Amino acid sequence: MAQEYLILDIVIWFGLYLIVCISLNVEYGFGGIPNFGRALAVLIGAITVGGIVNRILMATFGVSGGIVEASGLVKSVTNEIIAANPAIGIGILVASLLLAALLGAITGALFILPSAKLSEDYLAITLLAISEVMFMVSYYNTDMIGGYYGVSVPNVLAFVPGEQRLSIFALIILLIAFLAYLLVDRVTNSPYGRLLRAIRENEMVAEAYGKNVMVVRIKTVAFGSAIAALAGALYAYYSVNVIASSFSRVEWTFYPFLMILLGGLANNKGVIAGVLAFVTVKVLLMVYKFEITAALHLPFEAVWLEYIMFGILMLIILIYKPEGLIKEKPIMTDPIKRLVDKIKKAK
Amino acid sequence: MKEILKTKNLSKFFYGLKALDRVNINVEKDKLTLIIGPNGSGKTTLINVISGFYKADEGQILFNGMDITNKPPHEINWHGIVRTFQVPQPLKKLTVLENLLIAEQNPGERILNSLLKKWVKKEEEIVEKAYNYLEFLGLDHLWDSEAYKLSGGQLKLLEIGRALMANAKLIVMDEPIAGVNPVLANNILDRITELKKQGITFLIVEHRLDIILKYVDHVYVMANGKVIAEGGAEEILNNKEVIEVYLGATDEAVKCGV
Repeated sequence: MAQEYLILDIVIWFGLYLIVCISLNVEYGFGGIPNFGRALAVLIGAITVGGIVNRILMATFGVSGGIVEASGLVKSVTNEIIAANPAIGIGILVASLLLAALLGAITGALFILPSAKLSEDYLAITLLAISEVMFMVSYYNTDMIGGYYGVSVPNVLAFVPGEQRLSIFALIILLIAFLAYLLVDRVTNSPYGRLLRAIRENEMVAEAYGKNVMVVRIKTVAFGSAIAALAGALYAYYSVNVIASSFSRVEWTFYPFLMILLGGLANNKGVIAGVLAFVTVKVLLMVYKFEITAALHLPFEAVWLEYIMFGILMLIILIYKPEGLIKEKPIMTDPIKRLVDKIKKAK
Repeated sequence: MKEILKTKNLSKFFYGLKALDRVNINVEKDKLTLIIGPNGSGKTTLINVISGFYKADEGQILFNGMDITNKPPHEINWHGIVRTFQVPQPLKKLTVLENLLIAEQNPGERILNSLLKKWVKKEEEIVEKAYNYLEFLGLDHLWDSEAYKLSGGQLKLLEIGRALMANAKLIVMDEPIAGVNPVLANNILDRITELKKQGITFLIVEHRLDIILKYVDHVYVMANGKVIAEGGAEEILNNKEVIEVYLGATDEAVKCGV
């Protein structure tokens, strides 16, 4: 039983992090845009569910009052309806994901707009700051998504018996992560992916050859943020509540950066490898951290083990294996593959 | 005589230093116009202003009669001007082939088009074109190696190949044959002569006069940000002022026993 939960935990976090990391890989790995505000897009996804969908449901059922109490009421009413009518549950989930992606894209574009002209390091700091401000506002302002009280979220799988809910949700997350991966892989294995890499290597050359670098950057961040917002919405429905503190920069910005560095920048397969390795270690650490602390006679509290380990891991990757587990590869479009065949034949 | 590019009293200042001082040049269509001048005379600054990388402080640039002064570089490219850089600017982690492919506009460079695969036809076309250029430049055996592995001379060729590859009306080159071996330099200039016949105009800055002069149609000489002379190759070689500031005062050198 415990082992089953362990595997489910790994699957769920693998799926959520794959969505976030694949989006970050488009922006940073391919495009060289250091989006240190990744957590913001994830938070927007959660706000879509906790703040907007909840309010739509409140209006539908005519519930008034503060979002914190009202969301609890809405949750129980909606759960009953979903239990009787599964289509509504799935409908709410799909609609929320689409809305989250849309809002993610809009906020992503909006926040990069004033800063896209900045050079890499300033851009990173600006995006981190914007993300932090948004985090603070949603944590201390109780009107938006309940601040430090948080809000309840309907159980979109209320029609599923309790013990099966987790496994079905894990499958849903995995499915959406898979679709997001396919989408990104198709989009990046194209002249667009090549253009992003070119801009990353030398912005000046890209401009000289007629590429509007600013516009490409803005569109890329909008695209990446749309995908990352899916993870936020999924996480909200998975945990049946939204509280801003779950969307910290460590979990949704720094860890994703660590995972794509580990897997290999600008390589989608590398992202899978990086996320899988990271999530497995993280979940095992979380489950066995007391045993590990006791066995190693660590002089500090077990909760710090995770941060220290991943911090050291980051340093090791950057110093000894900056290209990651799987190296960046040139983009082989079909016409290029045909060229390879022709060259081989000529020999 | 039909001019494709014209600058009118073009000036550029760097904190009081007049890098360009009321420069007037006319580049004739389908011709090779050469700019020469001593180091620091403003040749590269002129290229940077024409291609939009520097903003002009005064004056105007007309391309096919259209005012393109101070437009962003990518928009100037859309009008049909392509430039190369004096120091080669390779896309280091991209392959040699990919470095050339980026020169053209491909519909697949937009997210939605890339998703819908609306780019295969164009890609087919430019991959073939790019490979032909690599064969011409003798870089075809390196097509799939990353650009950072190339030697200095090879990077120079890559820079030229990328410019020739772009569908440009005017190609502006900053020292294209510096550091290129003479045989290949002549081949490149032959190819340029061929492209001229196909309706492409060239504006080139170059110091290797021994090789390039027999290919040029018109020469401008710059010194201290000003155009000090213009004319055909012969005319320029015999111009006293040009000999003094650029070609070297041979008579005096002899007197001094150099």
